[in-house]
Amino acid sequence: MRQFIGATSGPIRRGRWSVGAALGLLWAGVGFAHHSFAMYDSDHQVKVAGTVKGFDWNNPHVYIELASSEQGETKGYTVECASPGILNRVGWKFNMIKPGDKITVIIAPLKTGEPGGLLKQLTLADGRVFFNGGPAGKPNIQ
Amino acid sequence: MRYSTRRAKALARALGALAIVTSSLVALAASGSAAGDRGLTGTWNRYPQLDETPDPKLPPPPPPVGPPPLKAQYLPAWEAQQKAAKEADARGQPLYTDYVKCLPDGMPAMMLAMFPMEVLQTPGQVTIVQEAYNQVRRVYLNEKQIPVEDAEPGYWGHSVGHWQGDTLLIDTVGIKEKVRFRGVPHSDQMRIHERIRLLTPDFFEDRITVEDPVYLTQPWSFAWAYRRLPHYKMLEYVCDSNREYKDPETGGTRLRLENHDPGPQRP
Repeated sequence: MRQFIGATSGPIRRGRWSVGAALGLLWAGVGFAHHSFAMYDSDHQVKVAGTVKGFDWNNPHVYIELASSEQGETKGYTVECASPGILNRVGWKFNMIKPGDKITVIIAPLKTGEPGGLLKQLTLADGRVFFNGGPAGKPNIQ
Repeated sequence: MRYSTRRAKALARALGALAIVTSSLVALAASGSAAGDRGLTGTWNRYPQLDETPDPKLPPPPPPVGPPPLKAQYLPAWEAQQKAAKEADARGQPLYTDYVKCLPDGMPAMMLAMFPMEVLQTPGQVTIVQEAYNQVRRVYLNEKQIPVEDAEPGYWGHSVGHWQGDTLLIDTVGIKEKVRFRGVPHSDQMRIHERIRLLTPDFFEDRITVEDPVYLTQPWSFAWAYRRLPHYKMLEYVCDSNREYKDPETGGTRLRLENHDPGPQRP
């Protein structure tokens, strides 16, 4: 087995590699997002269905404004998505959502309790499902 | 008669010389590598990506272990800052940083390659473009580095480089003191050395060593690897819709919610 990376510092033993790789991944996380996602509670994800009021496709983040009817009352949610670059690379398109569209999202809510969250999964009216790219993490509910 | 013969001979010589120059230029352009490209030109992604299990045959470079080698008088402040960042995260209001403010990360953090990176090799220059924040660094080849005191501080600094065998050695000075990697302070004496080497046609590594006689006890070394991203076309990145703002009370980061909490106006 040829050691490609780190070849200049001599062979890396297998056992050490796995520890090194795990540390490397942790450290790598430092630079993979515009900001920490600590504003959001990924342990208590919620599902929200509603009508799109706005789709803000810009850097550093894309936002979906969603109006959801709950017990006869309409509530607005701001859904933070990754950046246009990340989303392009996981199959999104800048014009795939329009005001008036019916969508369902799974979000990690804001820890402050305000009506907003970090997108984990998006389902469009036609049933197509999209995720939010690597750094934002995956849904833990369905 | 004799005059016109001389003229004809001179013209023939001139045409001959022109032909040699032209054919050399054509050969140079065709080879591509003679003056510029040594296999780094193209688009690249950090390897491994965050959600990727690395290939055991391609172990990533070993990460640095422990805190940076800051001098004893600077270490406590750095450690306190790391602790504060963790506590702010736990509160759900991560610290508001220049990066959240949409300022580019600069050197050496730019080489973390949060987003895809493009490398362009042209005669006398290597240009590195990072998609996030449209960052561009220019490395001037075979030039003498300017004295640190003459280097105007910036985000990417002043870089010169040269090839030593298969390794591109880069020296960078002139990084603004507010441009900090992992929050580590540095002086205007900081110097960043890089050793960039293609490991296979589709992987390269950048071994970085930061030196700073004012803040560091010893050189601080780490390395990152990159994998070719074939056929990728770089996207633009202009941070024109930043909804993160600094909470005036806690100093933490908050999200401006449309129709709910306008927050302070964008700067």
